[in-house]
Amino acid sequence: MIPLSYYLAFTAILYIVGIYCLATKRNMIRLVLGIEILVNAANLNFIILSANWKTGFVDPFAHSIVIISTALAGCISAVALTIVVYAYRHYGTLDARKLRRLRG
Amino acid sequence: MFTLPIDTLIVFTVTTPFVGWIERKLHRKIISGIYAAVGFALSGFMLYQLSSQALSSPMVVPIHAGVFEACLRVDALSVFAAAIFLAMGFLVTVYSLKYMERDTGLSLYYTLLLAMITGMLGVVAAGDFFTLFVFWEFMCIPSYVLVAFRKQQWEPVEAGFKYLVMSSAGSATILYGMSILYGLTGTLNFAQLSVVMTSAAANVWGYVSLAFILIGFGVKASMFPLHTWLPDAHPAAPSSISALLSGIVIKAGAYGIIRTLFMIFLPSRFSWQIALAVFAALTMTYGNFAALLQKDIKRLLAYSSIAQMGYILFAISTTTSYGLTAGLMHTMNHALMKGLLFLCAGAFIYRAGTRNLDELKGIGHKMPLTAVIFTVAALSISGVPPLNGFVSEFMIVYAGVNAGMLAFTVVMLINILLGFAYYLRLIKIIVWSTPTENVKKVKRAPTLMLLPMALMALSCIIIGLYPAPFIEMASKAAQAVI
Repeated sequence: MIPLSYYLAFTAILYIVGIYCLATKRNMIRLVLGIEILVNAANLNFIILSANWKTGFVDPFAHSIVIISTALAGCISAVALTIVVYAYRHYGTLDARKLRRLRG
Repeated sequence: MFTLPIDTLIVFTVTTPFVGWIERKLHRKIISGIYAAVGFALSGFMLYQLSSQALSSPMVVPIHAGVFEACLRVDALSVFAAAIFLAMGFLVTVYSLKYMERDTGLSLYYTLLLAMITGMLGVVAAGDFFTLFVFWEFMCIPSYVLVAFRKQQWEPVEAGFKYLVMSSAGSATILYGMSILYGLTGTLNFAQLSVVMTSAAANVWGYVSLAFILIGFGVKASMFPLHTWLPDAHPAAPSSISALLSGIVIKAGAYGIIRTLFMIFLPSRFSWQIALAVFAALTMTYGNFAALLQKDIKRLLAYSSIAQMGYILFAISTTTSYGLTAGLMHTMNHALMKGLLFLCAGAFIYRAGTRNLDELKGIGHKMPLTAVIFTVAALSISGVPPLNGFVSEFMIVYAGVNAGMLAFTVVMLINILLGFAYYLRLIKIIVWSTPTENVKKVKRAPTLMLLPMALMALSCIIIGLYPAPFIEMASKAAQAVI
């Protein structure tokens, strides 16, 4: 059986990939995908840890959490893509670096 | 299903679009706004009914569905925070009746507003981490749409996208931290977590989980390196929404930090005190320095919000009961003062049509009542004695000295002086300058906008003169978590 730490390392790498995607990608749709990767890293973590308590027993609580959290992530993507559409209408591009008029 | 105040708001949230449909048939643009205001008032009444029970002992409302078990837990802190949220929601709705009249899609605006406040009530009433997270998203998603509400202009769309990306990355980070916490303890219920975490030894995974959760909430609470969305998103939103975002939405982040730090990662077992104090000092210093030279009135107020969050985080980092009381007092006062400042700025923008401070010079001469209210709010937030800002800032400084954090307290005192400097500059530009050409034809603010503003200014003065009952409430709320 594969030890738990391998799985945890995998989700940690997935989380880092998500953050890397948010930090470096130019395309706005890829930024939205980066958020999805982050949420999925957390979801996978829940699923992995739900099987960790007793051998042969999987905690259904964590699975229900993952289902609800997936739905929430869908809501976020929907709103994000709507805003991307409006940004495209204003700027005529999906390049996030062209959206540099605010200095924050 | 949940507690009565939340249920009421959910019913109103769902029915407001239908009211909007009737509104279009009748050609009256004001109905959905009045309906939303009634919803807030009704929910406030329900909260009042519930408060006496919740203040004496925490009220637990279980939510069962098959194997899924979650619960709501309403204690004094929940009631305290919920009362602030509902009051602000009501006042801003009344203000929006006039302020938003030039926009279209108003029934959806009020729906989103109700949904956002519902989410915040849920966040403060949550009894386990996952319920908190669901309501957290319930609060965040409407707030993204509200920031980008004026989608015909480029600024709200750009700021809204930036806000969405940073804030949802923060939410995902909270979820990741939660999953590690679940792996450590096997539960997400606050009561069980606090039992398990006090008995178990503090290990590395505990710290990892703490860091993730703190960063996630820190994005919302605009902690220093994670603040960059705030100065864009808050000015880009309509002024009424800026008042809510700066007044209470970032306080939900502070609430999350308080809950996790004092109920799960107890200061006696996990040493986060100094780290939080350092971040608080950086946050307040950065916010104040950046606010000093702003040319845009709403941007200046947004940077000032970052600085004020620094004060609240510093109050939390003292870890004493008195410090937390001070922090909660400042949460309430800042919601009032910053909300009021944004509403005043909104009144100036409504009449003069610009956010640039150079063009707003001397507008106080044309809008005397608004100028008086603005001055009260600005003096209050910079800590002038008979007003409410002084009370809570004094309490935070006192708590800092008592907790032996002298260096940080000195930083905070310097910051209060800096804050005073730019608010004096603001008052000078608005009130004491000679009016420019732009503002020559400006008329006084509409009565419907002045009404909530006057009410808030009055409560600023009342809390300043007679703070005892409010401090007692804040102290009860602080006792509930410590």
